[in-house]
Amino acid sequence: MTIDLAYVLELVLNGLMLGLLYALIAVGLALIFGVLQIVNFAHGELMMLGSFTMALLLPLFGLSYWPSLAMAVIVTALVGAAFYQFFLSRVEQTEFERSILITLGLSMVLLYGAQYIFSATPRMVDTSWGFEGIEIGAIRMTWTRITGGAVALVAFAALYVLLKWTQLGRAMRAVAQNREAALMVGLKPRVVSRNAVTLAAGLCGLAGGALAPIQLVQPGMGQAVIFKAFALVIIAGLGNIPGAIATSLALGMLESWIGGFYDMVWQEGSVFVIMIVAIILRPEGLFQARGMRVG
Amino acid sequence: MIPLLEISDLVKAFRGVRAVDGASFAVQAGSITGLIGPNGSGKSTAIDCISGFQRADAGRVHLDGTAIDGLPPQRIARAGLTRTFQDVRVYDTYTVLENLLVVAKPFATTNWADAFLRTQKFRETHGQAEARALDLIDLVGLTRLTHAPALILSYGQKKLLAFAAAMMSNPSIVVLDEPVAGVNPTRVNEVAEIVRAANRGGTTFLIIEHNVDFITSLCDHVIVFDRGRKLTEGPPAEVHRDPLVLDAYLGVEPGHEPHLARAG
Amino acid sequence: MKSGLSGVGAAKVAAVILALAILAVLPLLTSSNYLLGVAVSGLLMTVAAAALNLVYGFAGLLSFAQLGFWGVGAYCSAITVMDAGGSFWAGVLVAAGVNGLLGLAFGYPILRTRTHAFVVATITFALLCNLVARDWISVTRGPLGIPGLPPPRLLGYEIEGSARFFYIVLGYAVLALCFLYVLETSRIGLTLKAIKQNETLAQSQGISPLPYKLAVFTIAAVITGMAGAVFAFHLRVVDPLIFDFYYMQTFLIIVIIGGTGSFWGVVLAGAAMVVLPEALRFSNDLRMVIYGAILVAAMLLMPRGVAGWIEDRRLASLRANLR
Repeated sequence: MTIDLAYVLELVLNGLMLGLLYALIAVGLALIFGVLQIVNFAHGELMMLGSFTMALLLPLFGLSYWPSLAMAVIVTALVGAAFYQFFLSRVEQTEFERSILITLGLSMVLLYGAQYIFSATPRMVDTSWGFEGIEIGAIRMTWTRITGGAVALVAFAALYVLLKWTQLGRAMRAVAQNREAALMVGLKPRVVSRNAVTLAAGLCGLAGGALAPIQLVQPGMGQAVIFKAFALVIIAGLGNIPGAIATSLALGMLESWIGGFYDMVWQEGSVFVIMIVAIILRPEGLFQARGMRVG
Repeated sequence: MIPLLEISDLVKAFRGVRAVDGASFAVQAGSITGLIGPNGSGKSTAIDCISGFQRADAGRVHLDGTAIDGLPPQRIARAGLTRTFQDVRVYDTYTVLENLLVVAKPFATTNWADAFLRTQKFRETHGQAEARALDLIDLVGLTRLTHAPALILSYGQKKLLAFAAAMMSNPSIVVLDEPVAGVNPTRVNEVAEIVRAANRGGTTFLIIEHNVDFITSLCDHVIVFDRGRKLTEGPPAEVHRDPLVLDAYLGVEPGHEPHLARAG
Repeated sequence: MKSGLSGVGAAKVAAVILALAILAVLPLLTSSNYLLGVAVSGLLMTVAAAALNLVYGFAGLLSFAQLGFWGVGAYCSAITVMDAGGSFWAGVLVAAGVNGLLGLAFGYPILRTRTHAFVVATITFALLCNLVARDWISVTRGPLGIPGLPPPRLLGYEIEGSARFFYIVLGYAVLALCFLYVLETSRIGLTLKAIKQNETLAQSQGISPLPYKLAVFTIAAVITGMAGAVFAFHLRVVDPLIFDFYYMQTFLIIVIIGGTGSFWGVVLAGAAMVVLPEALRFSNDLRMVIYGAILVAAMLLMPRGVAGWIEDRRLASLRANLR
């Protein structure tokens, strides 16, 4: 069998794009765990919310991409802020079961609510770009995919700057590192936590919005992604943001490659096997690392 | 005569800081031995290592001539060394009686099938365990509250319940971690009386406590800890006049009676 | 006090006998296959929830692996009947055996993990089961699943019709619930809740947590797997949808509403949660929205469930009386 170079390159680019969008989800998950010590089960549904907002607004904005995407981010971020204000703020850090069950309940309301209103039927989302794209030699990429990848890259750059050099981001890192000490230097953990959840939800909205024209939009899409994101964040070590990005890219690449060359068989299974083994080998270590690494 | 509990060269370090630094001491069978020392002298870490809740980096622990170091806490408890905790621990939703009936050892002759099927053997064992539990509840003076959930007990009553639970398996030695800290001063003598009564029944005690009066009146032997190892030992009256001990606590001149309770 | 307690006990026995009597004559009262179907899934979900209650309510292990065991059980019985030529009964026993081994093999390493790690690992296990069902096509027939499961046979007679199948389900549910009741009210149940409340204290009292947790995890795997095996023959088809997170959410909500660690609370909640929405004719989606909202509300307002809430009121009044 001769391997077509253009085909390989296309797989790599697709994998990269997929991985970047996974990474947006995984990073938000890591952020919320780092600051609040909560594993957010509703995270996938926030992404689904972003996708639906995008899908519903595109026709209103005359199919133009950017305003719809912006609205998807804003709506999801606001929902995230409301989540924190009404639900997550009432959970103590030590009550891990309550936090899991509350976020699970919220995910049920969003998932089945969307299914009730919009039905489970997948929908195609069209933008003004349609299927246009660029061709370099034999490689073809649609604009929606290129933009999706680029948007994710810009988001990571912005996130890095935010966490590393702004007061907002430093506060989040400080709370993740040591809540008591952060309290003593005058930080308000509640405000910081709300910011973190809002930011993470915004990233979900961005990922959901960017994915909408690329994949089929359906209420169950979040659930499919969130469990993968759990796997990614765990393999990387919870709270480890660059690790989450790296593993996400690796997964996107893996899926794209295996999907391109072999049958679908076992490709996802391998991720979950790796994850179970990782947890078994480092049962304490994975979740005990305090603090949040940004690089 | 070999001591009931013998600790030799125990070492436990956290991130390079040696909390216990080559401690060696012994507790004689039948004694009430006090373990005192300034806060941070490694007493708590030492008994955590002895009772199996932390793994020592080095050193041996022998109970009645048998090595118990490296065993998990439940094995050590079954071997005859039980303990209480500084932050008083009981099962809040269980009644006083249930708190004692949970203890494993009295049921050692029965297995899960016996418990599941409530066999004749199990019911007999259960009856004996209940009789012992009621005796202990009487000993610590909680009879009126036998069927009350532990949740409603006062702090001092919970400490007494924890003490009774530690006695439930008829251990050869009980380690008490600050039995009267936070207990109403008027009740301290009652606790001492209860310990004495249990001691007359044949149980050996190792007691960590900052209350000097309590230690002095109760213990027949005191071990002083400082910087992770034994500083000195002897009868309580001698020990707390020892210049080394005074120095370890506050650097107080001999002759000035220190109040060790405040020294921490 | 004494007579009051035995009065409560007598009332409980009477209620159980009444409930069993109603269930026993249910097929005579209605010929509606739909209603009997509701009763069948209600009974099986209650059993699965009761098994989750053993794991979560008694041993404190928030295990999502139950979903995996449920689906693996369904596949085991379906494959035994359709591909290995075994009977329905053999299928249920195979499901029990496979889940027992799986529970031990997965439980042993995973029970060493705690809190978030345990939860996420058990979810991963359930998802892995789902993927294997979808991708191991030579055994599971892949995404299309195994359709056309025949009705069970007993002593050479085909147990055709909803009414007869209902009695099989009722028999299994009663057996499984009795087993759980005897277990949970025994000294083993007492020890489990002690471990859940304070593991170090339990250890200091000579209790080894791991054997208890492993035993409970495995028992719950077997009971859930058998329930799933029977459920497959109710659906008449097994496909990867048997691993839908919907089932896990239903088990969980029954346990939470009933009150973790309360046997009767969970059984009552199981009946209520399955029968009420059917009676009110909610669509499945709307029902799950309401379940989700109830879950959130319960966690915010009464984290220990209805039974826990009543217990708290009782303790509060007891405390007030003593002071």
